[in-house]
Amino acid sequence: MMNKMEIRVEANTGSFRDPVNQVYEVKPKPGSEKVRILRGLSNEALSNYKQLSAETFFRKALDAGYVVKTELLEANDKDGNTVLADGWAGVLEHIDVASVEPWEEGEPWVGYRQFCSMFLAPLMLRSYLGIDHLPILRSFIDGIPPIEAAKYFTGTKRFKKGILSHIVFPAKVENSIAKRERDDAPARQRTSNKHSKAMVLGLVQSLKRLVQKLSIEIKHTDWSQYDKTHSYQEAELDAKKAFVIKHASTTKRQYVWDIGCNTGTFSKITSEYCKQVISIDGDHDAVEQLYLKEKNNTNSNILPLVMNLANISPGQGWACSERQAFDQRRKPDLVLCLALIHHLRLSANIPNVLFLKWLRSLESAVILEFVNREDEMVVKLLTNKKEQYEDYNLDQFVAQAEQFFTIKDRESLKGGKREIFYLIPR
Amino acid sequence: MKTIFMNKRNGFAAKLLTMMQAWLISSLIFPATAFAYVDPGSGSVIVTTILGLIAAIGYTFRKYYYRVKRMIVGKNAEENRQDDE
Repeated sequence: MMNKMEIRVEANTGSFRDPVNQVYEVKPKPGSEKVRILRGLSNEALSNYKQLSAETFFRKALDAGYVVKTELLEANDKDGNTVLADGWAGVLEHIDVASVEPWEEGEPWVGYRQFCSMFLAPLMLRSYLGIDHLPILRSFIDGIPPIEAAKYFTGTKRFKKGILSHIVFPAKVENSIAKRERDDAPARQRTSNKHSKAMVLGLVQSLKRLVQKLSIEIKHTDWSQYDKTHSYQEAELDAKKAFVIKHASTTKRQYVWDIGCNTGTFSKITSEYCKQVISIDGDHDAVEQLYLKEKNNTNSNILPLVMNLANISPGQGWACSERQAFDQRRKPDLVLCLALIHHLRLSANIPNVLFLKWLRSLESAVILEFVNREDEMVVKLLTNKKEQYEDYNLDQFVAQAEQFFTIKDRESLKGGKREIFYLIPR
Repeated sequence: MKTIFMNKRNGFAAKLLTMMQAWLISSLIFPATAFAYVDPGSGSVIVTTILGLIAAIGYTFRKYYYRVKRMIVGKNAEENRQDDE
């Protein structure tokens, strides 16, 4: 029986908006690696959950893996339930099932505006106008509101499918209400008319059809064509793969980050030896290709993310902790950074020492490929740049790396133009 | 002519028309404003009602269309409809 005094229960810093449920992180001991994510539910939310869990569609979604496995914990659960039960009617493991509520005859679809702001507007910006929606979505934590989204669709652009009804019209309504009720004008009561099932399902289905028709064009870039145009010969690439497999396969790891993953060749290789790979690249099209490759693989353990590594997701929202900064979330056990450092040093002007220091802060083993000055990709990067990177060479890099890491293994690649390292934190 | 048309309005359709007219007029006059004391989501009541009504027409049409198609073609039409839902 676990000693209750040893159980550390912390409410997640991003979980406070919904009054009927809250997420907790339960650690058996301070500093413990093992963390259970639990969700406390009010009476109302628990009753909804019980109804939901009896539904066929929910069971099907669970079986298909669309919904994270969710269980109502038994009252005698040893791992923190007795502590968590205070104030809550029940405790669940994982997923936000409290967002699913039974629909009652006459109710509108209350999630409509949120769906449009969080998903539809960003997808339309990307698909119809080719606008990079990610930096915009990063700032609008609750999604892009209709009034903001409508500003992008001027002139004939507003006649693209779905724009008038789901962007322009809601924006006009919100603008007119704001105008009518500004300053001292009293707020008017807006009572909802009864919504029939046909109204709700019709709206949901029309949005489903609309989203399914939205697509993006993947343009030819060096990155997304990397699998065909990388600067390695086949035999040299095999040597690089062998080095990665040699060190990735030594132990079964939980989380691996592949930073600068490109189209995910090495994410795929590493995924066999760990629980999950988080694959990150700043190039949308490269990550999109990886996503499309993994999309239909139900057993995929690769999570592709588009992120500029010189500007990773910061802490956001209330008190900068509603969304944690990317590197403050769960730490990796292994980081792959293959042919990335020259981009950070020569394109983003991030000194190698700062990069290595950040890598060290992750407390993880690292497989790093250093791209030397003679390599044609570095030559290309430096062609039209003022030479101010005298420190960028193999000897200096090794000296800098040894300040933070122990070099466990190294191998020369591409006839000495590149060097691959296996690093362990000092 | 306009007066006669207005007098004929009644019930929910009338409310809808009023709301739509209000929107059309406001779109010509009012500039964009920032929210202060107005909940930005409060417009959703109006928006989902109007869009829901339009969508319900399509939904009902599809429902009967697939029902008729199923009678003529057979089982595949039913599968298509379920997939669509």
